[in-house]
Amino acid sequence: MENTLDLSGFVCPLSKMKAAEAVDNMAEGDTLIIILGESESFKSVAQDLKTNDIVPTFKQESESRYILTVSR
Amino acid sequence: MNNQEQNHQLRVYSDITQLIANPQNPTPLVRLNRINPNKNFQIYLKLERYNPFGSIKDRIVKEMLDVLDIGDRTVVEPSSGNTGIALTSVANAMGVPVEIAIPDKTPEEKKIMLKFLGAKVTEVDDALCPMFPSEGARGLVNALILSPATKDKYVSPNQYESALNVQAHYRATGPEIWQQTEGEVSYFFAGFGTCGTITGVGRYLKEQNPELKVVGVEPSTAEHKLPGMKRITGLSEEYIPKILDWSVIDELAEVSDEDAFLTAIELARKDGITVGPTTGAILNIALQYAEKHDGIAVVISPDDAFKYASFYREILEEESRKAGEGK
Repeated sequence: MENTLDLSGFVCPLSKMKAAEAVDNMAEGDTLIIILGESESFKSVAQDLKTNDIVPTFKQESESRYILTVSR
Repeated sequence: MNNQEQNHQLRVYSDITQLIANPQNPTPLVRLNRINPNKNFQIYLKLERYNPFGSIKDRIVKEMLDVLDIGDRTVVEPSSGNTGIALTSVANAMGVPVEIAIPDKTPEEKKIMLKFLGAKVTEVDDALCPMFPSEGARGLVNALILSPATKDKYVSPNQYESALNVQAHYRATGPEIWQQTEGEVSYFFAGFGTCGTITGVGRYLKEQNPELKVVGVEPSTAEHKLPGMKRITGLSEEYIPKILDWSVIDELAEVSDEDAFLTAIELARKDGITVGPTTGAILNIALQYAEKHDGIAVVISPDDAFKYASFYREILEEESRKAGEGK
């Protein structure tokens, strides 16, 4: 199942907390697209995923739109 | 009976917030007779636990909430417990919803009290936010106030930056101490936390007597078990509470967790006064001054021992274990 989590309205660490909660709730085979609205949130969420051995794909669409894709 | 009046003599009040201390209804000042052997350096504890919600934070919360334009928003604040308990209590009396971001290392007793009062409590890892190193709870509240998705739903008194935090102590705690000591106080000891107490009281007392010494106490390490206290030394300027006024502070001293906890326990056993570990920390430094100085000292005692029973248990169990080994 593919879900999108739009966190562009949240700054760090709120974005990081919400992303971590959503990733924790992913099931095997799920894909989660996380949209972030600032570079601090992007760095923070990416670092948190890395700490948990999760390697997302990422794309920066603009200075206020970052997209991380996490697959389980 | 007039429902609108408060009467300190008869102890009749029209709402619970009227019990918050002020110069007409001060918290007690109690001399320590046995833990301090130096009769020429008298130490008095200012027992802030006698505020209605159990701590020194009761004073600042009413002051801050009274002027906050809350509207239909939720009040949110980072707290190691005491501000949260006071804030939720006063907000309940006003019919306002509250959320508290609390460090996950806060004693369970305080977390339970916050939930008992009906606050929405979010436990936060201290290392959560790089913007507020070792203070994740501040980072979370900062994010709630700044995020486009949430900023219209929340409002924060922000005790770290509110001039009202200082004003509450300048207008009440300081004058109380001056009156209670009949102007003879010569040393004032307080901890660094939000820095409202040391700045507000220190400023008032120094205006009355510029010779008075203000001693600030901080934990000896950044990681510590003294809730509400903050190590200022080594902290980058941007993370030091903006309300701190260094000009009122004469000396800075540091204390370890162990010395703080053991001093609090010693106080209970020698003078029968049960206090939290932050009081133990501040008193530990005052007792060191008592070895070399003369005068009258006032030590702020922010709260009582009961909220820290789980913290004290570790030390008491260790004490019991050592006593058992000695048999």
